[in-house]
This record gives sequence, structure tokens and C-alpha cells, in this order.
Amino acid sequence: MAFNVLIVDDSAVMRTMIVRTLKLSGVPIASIHEASNGEEGLRRLHDEWIDLLLLDINMPVMNGEEMLTHIRADERTRDLAVIVVSTEGSETRLAALQAMGAAIVRKPFPPEILRHTILHVTGVTDVDYYGSVAASSDSLDF
Amino acid sequence: MSTITDQLLRRATASTFEDLAFLFPDDELSEAQANAPLDIAVRVEFHGPVRGRLVLRVSSTLMPAIAANMLGEEQAQYTPLQRDALGEVANVICGNLLPLIAGADAVFRLDAPSWPADRGSARGDDRPLASLVLGVDDARAEVSVFVFSGHELLDSERAVATGAI
Repeated sequence: MAFNVLIVDDSAVMRTMIVRTLKLSGVPIASIHEASNGEEGLRRLHDEWIDLLLLDINMPVMNGEEMLTHIRADERTRDLAVIVVSTEGSETRLAALQAMGAAIVRKPFPPEILRHTILHVTGVTDVDYYGSVAASSDSLDF
Repeated sequence: MSTITDQLLRRATASTFEDLAFLFPDDELSEAQANAPLDIAVRVEFHGPVRGRLVLRVSSTLMPAIAANMLGEEQAQYTPLQRDALGEVANVICGNLLPLIAGADAVFRLDAPSWPADRGSARGDDRPLASLVLGVDDARAEVSVFVFSGHELLDSERAVATGAI
């Protein structure tokens, strides 16, 4: 299985960084879609088949918490695997997001952390099938 | 003598430069670093139990390196992306600093990074709660945190006032 991924973040730079990290993580990717806020993200979810959502919290128009609430209330998306990718440090806010079934990855993060979290939230257990991380974080061509 | 807030700011700033931009700041500035201008500024406003602003000022010569390390050489040549990359560095420093100084339960909303035309930071004679300068490559970076309300709620300040730290 290769994942169809939606990245929702208002920072174009951070979306680019997440795409790069995702490709380096060694997790098989079928397609990557992007949106710059929660409202746009919900439209992409409606139009595309998405297996995994990488979601920022602080965004204009509709923030990540609001988008996640909509996702869990819709029977078509309520079981979607969601990883919140954020600088958020509030335990209160993170606990609320985890209670809605989201995993948390703090920025900045290496490919290994992203890969581990993706395999965890998607329930993929055949880790060997996916092989090792494509490159270690200190050998990136940055 | 640095305060506990200065130390926390240093920790958040150094780890962000290292982990996000793959640049390793120096506490002791070389002559070249000390003479490098601070001619680009970005700020992030935060709202929550305390309200304030983080300002990151850097030498413009540092911008291509930050963008290249975050986005790759090809993307790094575009000035708007260099600016956005610096904004993301400021955003991550702020996001990592706030729970350190205000406690892990505090909930904040961060505005999108903005670029003040005056390259400055403060309003009138505002003084920063904490500020530091670091050498980065042959340039330098200055980070300052201003708190406009709720100062007494900061964990780090309480700890200093009670002698806990």
C-alpha cells in the first residue's frame, strides 16, 4: 500500500519541508496534496481519496482543531489517520487533539520520527516491508 | 548576568537553528559576526495568558543559507521563499519558547510571521523581557521577546522572584 497524503499548513515553506521529509522517511507515497488552511483542506478531503492527513494547528480561516472536529463528525472521514505537525507546546491543547485520535509530531522533526508516527497511526505493522529510512537526517542534501 | 528567561530563549533559539535550519549558533561572536548588520527582521505576535511579540533580526547574508538548508539549493534562490523560511524559524522559536516560560498548560495563539518596515521590534521605549545575540556562520542573529500584558503569569519570572531558580 502506498499512501495518499494531504498536508494542511499555512506556511508554504513548512509544506515544502514536510514533503521533503516525507520522501526521505521511506514510507511509500502514492500522491501528495496540499492545502493552506482547514477549510481548503476539507474541500481536498471531499474531492480526493486521502489515507493520511498531516495537519498544522495555527492557521487562518479554519485552524487545525476546527478541521479535526469536522473530520471526526463526518462519517466519511471520521476514521482518517491524522498527525498534527506543530510547534504547539500546550499540554492542554495537545491532549484535546490526542483525545480526537490525532498523533502529535513537534516541529522540527527528522524523517525517522515522521516514519515511526505514520506507521503507528495508520496501523501498519509490517515495518520490514517498507524498508529503512531513505536517508539519515544528517546526510540530507541541504 | 543572564536571567532564566534569557537562558530559555537561548535554548529555544539554538535548538531551532540547529534542528530546523541545520546551522549551529555561537555564543562568542567573532569580529566578522559582531560587525555583520542586523538588516532583516521578522516578528511573531502571540496571544494567550500573556500577550507579546518575538522578534528575530538577522544579517541578510544569512538568508540564502537558512533557505537552502530548509528547502534545498534550488528553492533557496527565490527571495520570497528566503523570507518565508526566516519567518518559519521565528515561528518555531516562539512556539518552543512559550511553554518553557509560561508553563506546559498555557494555550497560545500565534499570528503568522510579519515583516516590520522599520526592521525594529518594540513600541516606543518597550524593553524586551529577554534578548540575545548569537553568531551564525559569518553573520549574526538577535532574538528578543517582548511581553505587553500578563507578565506576572510567566513561570520563569515567578521562579526567579521566589528564588526557586
